[in-house]
Amino acid sequence: MILGSLSVLILLSSFVLMANKHIKSYVKTFRAQSLLIACATGIMGVESLLKDSRVDVLVVCVLIIALKVIYIPKLLNKTHAHTHYKVEKDFILNIPLLVIICFALVVFSYFILSSLGESHVQLANSVSVIWIGLFFMISRRKAIGQIIGFLVIENGLFISALLITEGMPFIVDMGILVDLLTAAMIMGFMVNRIDEEFESVDTDRLNNLKG
Amino acid sequence: MNTLSYILIQCGVILLTAPLVNGLIRKVKAWSQKRRGAPVWQMYADLYKLIRKGTVVSDVSSWVFKATPYLVFATALSAALLVPISIRIQPALLPGDFIMLVSILALGRFFLMTAALDTASTFGGMGSSREALISSLIEPSIMVSLITLALLSHTTSLSAMMGSMQLLRLPLIHPAFLAVFLAWMIILLAETARLPIDDPATHLELTMVHEAMLLEYSGRHLALMEYGAALKQLVLITLIVNLFFPHDQWIPMAGIAGIGLSITIYVFKVILFALLIGWIEVNTVKLKLFSIPNLAALAFILSFLGILQYLIVGGA
Repeated sequence: MILGSLSVLILLSSFVLMANKHIKSYVKTFRAQSLLIACATGIMGVESLLKDSRVDVLVVCVLIIALKVIYIPKLLNKTHAHTHYKVEKDFILNIPLLVIICFALVVFSYFILSSLGESHVQLANSVSVIWIGLFFMISRRKAIGQIIGFLVIENGLFISALLITEGMPFIVDMGILVDLLTAAMIMGFMVNRIDEEFESVDTDRLNNLKG
Repeated sequence: MNTLSYILIQCGVILLTAPLVNGLIRKVKAWSQKRRGAPVWQMYADLYKLIRKGTVVSDVSSWVFKATPYLVFATALSAALLVPISIRIQPALLPGDFIMLVSILALGRFFLMTAALDTASTFGGMGSSREALISSLIEPSIMVSLITLALLSHTTSLSAMMGSMQLLRLPLIHPAFLAVFLAWMIILLAETARLPIDDPATHLELTMVHEAMLLEYSGRHLALMEYGAALKQLVLITLIVNLFFPHDQWIPMAGIAGIGLSITIYVFKVILFALLIGWIEVNTVKLKLFSIPNLAALAFILSFLGILQYLIVGGA
């Protein structure tokens, strides 16, 4: 029941992300979402500690707090402080429409997972987070929005995997987290360089490269 | 309990508590600005002062202008009768359900908007057009969230819904109720003209919504309008605290002592909730008018998430 409520809150935080347009609140919402995921992992970790005395899920929880709640948001804020724009202005559609399309994605994931029976509700919530992250990347034109979208997809994947497997093998979790950290660092660095070179991080300009 | 004593207790408590909520919210805001602020019973004194004063009515206005204050007050009070403050005092047969609640409130709002247009002042028209925008965006989420609760508790009557929520003990752990509760927080702020949507403390023409519609009123009429708004706010707060934080199941004794304790706990919950609203008001900034649809879309999605959880999980 508590995991179900947490998965609803995680889904809600991705909706809040979708309805936002300030880069600062993107980072804040991402931090809140990661904190919720850390809570869910912590609950699972305590359960697995009591049941089969495994500590690795709890270690992963601590790592999530260190990386996703503290370090990556700090990195993003640093990237954000260097770039020229603070508010996302041009979307592909207006925000209420984007939010409603996201909701259609949620209905879609409920529909495709409905054959799994009653236990799939939390799974459907977390799979929808993946879809919303994907759609977030599409709907934002600036590079920081796309980094956040990527991180949200990863959050969705992580919580889905956690809910299916009740804690993946430790080495897999570690691999994913380190991968994510490297990706966020490289993308932040790239955004800074692109902003310095071209004074814009609008990804639509990439279309000019087409022949 | 018989119907007459229900009406007396219900109306008495709601009428006495409603201005206190506003006073508490203002007090919290004053504290946040390091002021002492007006006493919490300031609104009672204001209402008393306004009721004794004469009214000024424009020559060009019609009967709608004069009838509206009474209608707004009467609709708010009859809405209050549909939402029992405690499950213990409700009569055997309480007519009306949530659809009636929403339509009674809509009736009051309709007259409020028409009266603001009636005097043909520019601010009034602007206020009503904004109110129409906000309410048309928020009302779908009210209906959908209440339908979710009705489906979960197999009844449309609000008091029966409260009864079935009590069986759950802590409804907020349930994902469907959590989503609907969060939707109701947005609905409450939008419906009572609170800060992210509308600033109740301002009379700046660019930002006001609810105040713009009251500009032409004075004296007794103004008192009724403000009292009506306070009553409506308390009705919505009552709905939230009694649906999502039910308390009657914790009270062991029956009879008069139980009723007294139940009402005391209810007033205590309302005070806590007023402090919470004050805290939210202190910590948010007013949204741009064109950003309100974003918030309303969130409220709508939340209430729909609730119904989706219900359809998948089934009854609670």
